[in-house]
This record gives sequence, C-alpha cells and structure tokens, in this order.
Amino acid sequence: MSAPRALLLVGSARPRGTGNSEVLGTYLLARLGEGGMDGEVHHVSHYQRPERERALFEAVDAADLFILSTPLYVDSLPYLVTGCFERLAAHRARVQGGTDPRFFAMVNCGFPELEHTRTALEICRVFARQAGFESAGGLGLGGGEALAGKPLESLGGMVRHVRRGLDLAAEALLDGQPVPEEAQALLARPIIPSRLYTLLGNIGWRRTARRLGTSRRLGDRPLP
Amino acid sequence: MNEVARDALNPTTSHPAVRALVLNGALPGDEMLGPVEEVLLSLLRDTGSEVRHYSMRDVPLAYCQGCFECWTHSPGLCKTEGDAGRELAGAIIGSDLLVILTPITFGGYSSEIKKVLDRSICLVQPFFRRVNGEVHHRPRYRRFPATAAVGVIREPDEEQERIFRTLVERNAINMDSPATAVCVLGPETGPEHLRHRLDTELAPVLQRLAGRVA
Repeated sequence: MSAPRALLLVGSARPRGTGNSEVLGTYLLARLGEGGMDGEVHHVSHYQRPERERALFEAVDAADLFILSTPLYVDSLPYLVTGCFERLAAHRARVQGGTDPRFFAMVNCGFPELEHTRTALEICRVFARQAGFESAGGLGLGGGEALAGKPLESLGGMVRHVRRGLDLAAEALLDGQPVPEEAQALLARPIIPSRLYTLLGNIGWRRTARRLGTSRRLGDRPLP
Repeated sequence: MNEVARDALNPTTSHPAVRALVLNGALPGDEMLGPVEEVLLSLLRDTGSEVRHYSMRDVPLAYCQGCFECWTHSPGLCKTEGDAGRELAGAIIGSDLLVILTPITFGGYSSEIKKVLDRSICLVQPFFRRVNGEVHHRPRYRRFPATAAVGVIREPDEEQERIFRTLVERNAINMDSPATAVCVLGPETGPEHLRHRLDTELAPVLQRLAGRVA
C-alpha cells in the first residue's frame, strides 16, 4: 500500500524560496513527511495557463490531503488563489465520483492580530464545502512578516510556539483528525509584541526607503 | 431612490454630482449580474451621479505580485505599467462612491474584483496605525470613497452572506471608507424588486455621501 500524499499549494505571488507562506507550508509538510506522508509543493503563480492548471487539479484529485498556505491580501485570499479556487471548484463539480481529499488552510498576515485572517479562513471553509473537500480546519498567523522568509528552524525560540502549533496540526492531520484548537491558540501568541512589531515595521519601511532614496516620497499622492 | 437621498443628490440643488465608480466582477461567461448592473447604473444616473463603469473581465490587468514596490520604490504607484492598474487605482481614489458588483464566491468577491482590490494597496501607506485596537495601514490620500458592495448569490446561503458583509466592513476599515453599504441579492430578483432593494439598501451611503460632497 502506497503512502498517503499531501499536496501543498503556496498562495503567494512572491518568487519561490522567499515567501512566509512557503516557510509555514513546507515546515508542516516536513512534519507530515516524518509521519509517513509523502508531500509535494506547488506555487499557484506557476499555474496561470489552463494546461498547467489542469495538471494541478488532477494532482489535487489524487491527493489525500490538500493544504493551502497563503498570505492575506486585502482581508481575504489573493486573486491568484481566488481564481484557482473558482476553477478548481468547477473542475470538481464536473469530475464526479472521485475521492474527497481533506483540505487544510493556513493564512498568514502582516498585521500582528490574528483577527485579520478570520474572514479568509471562513472563505476557505466555504470553498471546501462547495468543492467537495472534507475540511480539516485552518490556522491563522498574525505578524507573519517577522518570519522574513526564513525557515522556522532557523528562527530559534522566537517562533517556538509557531513550530509547536504546526507540530500539533501535523499530528492531527496524520491521524485524520481536525486540527485542534490548541494549535490555533499557540499560533495566536504574538511572535513579537504588537507595539514592538509595528515600531520595527515602521523603522524597516523607512530604512528600505532610505536605501532606495525614496524617504521623502513615501507619503506621495501621485494619482489625480 | 428614497426621497431624502434623491433630494440630497439632486443635481438641481447646490450639491455637486457624486462621482460613482462601478466595478463589475462578473466572471467570463457569467451573465447573472447583467440585470443587476442595468438597474444599478440607472439608479445612480437618476440621482445625477457621474458614473464610471468597468466590466473587469474585459479590462487588461496583471495580478499583484506582493512586492510592495508601490510602497517603497515608487510610492503610490504600482511598478506594473501597460495595463489598467494605475488607471483603476486613480479611478477609485478619484471617486466619491465605489460600487463593487460581484458574484459572491465562497463568501468573498469574485477573482475579477479581487484582482483590482489587490492592485489598490498603492492607495495606502506601508506605515501602521491603530483602528479600534487593531493595526491597519495608514491611508495615503486624505479622502477615500464610500463603499457600496452588491453581492449576487446563486442560492440563499446565510454563512456566505455573513462572510461577505464582514469582508466589506473590514475592507472599509483598511480603505478608510467614510460610509459603507452592503446589499446581497439572489439571481432571480425582478427589475422592480431589484430597484427597490438597491434603492433602500444603498440609500444610507448615498445620503451620507451627499452631505460630504456638498
């Protein structure tokens, strides 16, 4: 009997190897791998042509677990993910009689509060229902920019609670159980205290602007 | 249009016309929104509003690459040129009322609407502010449009309707929108009923807006 398969879809439009969604998703996939589940990583930005997208949908159909790891864009799922989900739901409505993989969603955002991710996670839950997936729940993470695109293992104690939450999620997913609330409670803990996060964020934007020579233009209003 | 809103928006009074921008997020091949759009445009024009209208599926628009260069490299402008991104961002910030017409997709906007909203982050600054105890981005412009969202749903679905309303309200916080209205419709609504629903449910935004542009 072959090992169960997990398919991770990274919802970020950022280049491979640079996004926080990929960091979180690949960490979870590695834990699932330790538990005997095979995994593959796909980036939604790669699937902008119908023939490529068809191959992705067939891979999703064949998977036992479909994982989305995505950034939050303007309070909900990014365009790329929204469009992909619209077409995937239509595809699954056409292909009757297949298996119903489980679906698990992770949404990270650049604001420190977890609350921002709630609507996107609810959208994911409705998607799962409409597209014929068994929902395995979802996790939100605030303050995601603190990860800076680095592997969780390299970030030390600052993200210990994030790793523990994802470990719990992996254990539940391997057991075929919904991800426990404890996992979300762990991810709800701030990586950096909120006020420090916003202070560092504001300093970071100014530092980038200084390097680019745009410091005096950050507040520009170029549109009529 | 109810009487208060009609009087407030009547171009024969001293009030300037409301500049309304309508974004239609119908997906390719989906004609469900057509009758709603027709009534909506007629209603807005009857108030004397100056209406700009985009059918997003016909508009060439690249997707947001999440690079944040519109915050740091070319503040206020997306780096992508040669598509309608800058025109649409300018149309949004130059309007008094942004009307989002969309099929409700899993409780959210259609991808056609999501594409333009993702590209509109150039309208805010990277810096943070707090609103009701939550962190949000600072607005870039002094004045943002009021928002009216009209969602059309194929089957009654309370969960999706609730999510849609929450999403619009949360967008309004991030976009510093001075007033918000949400209307959720089924596909089979007839023109008279449609007009009544839109008239009633969008009136609060239009009334408040009328006071603002006066």
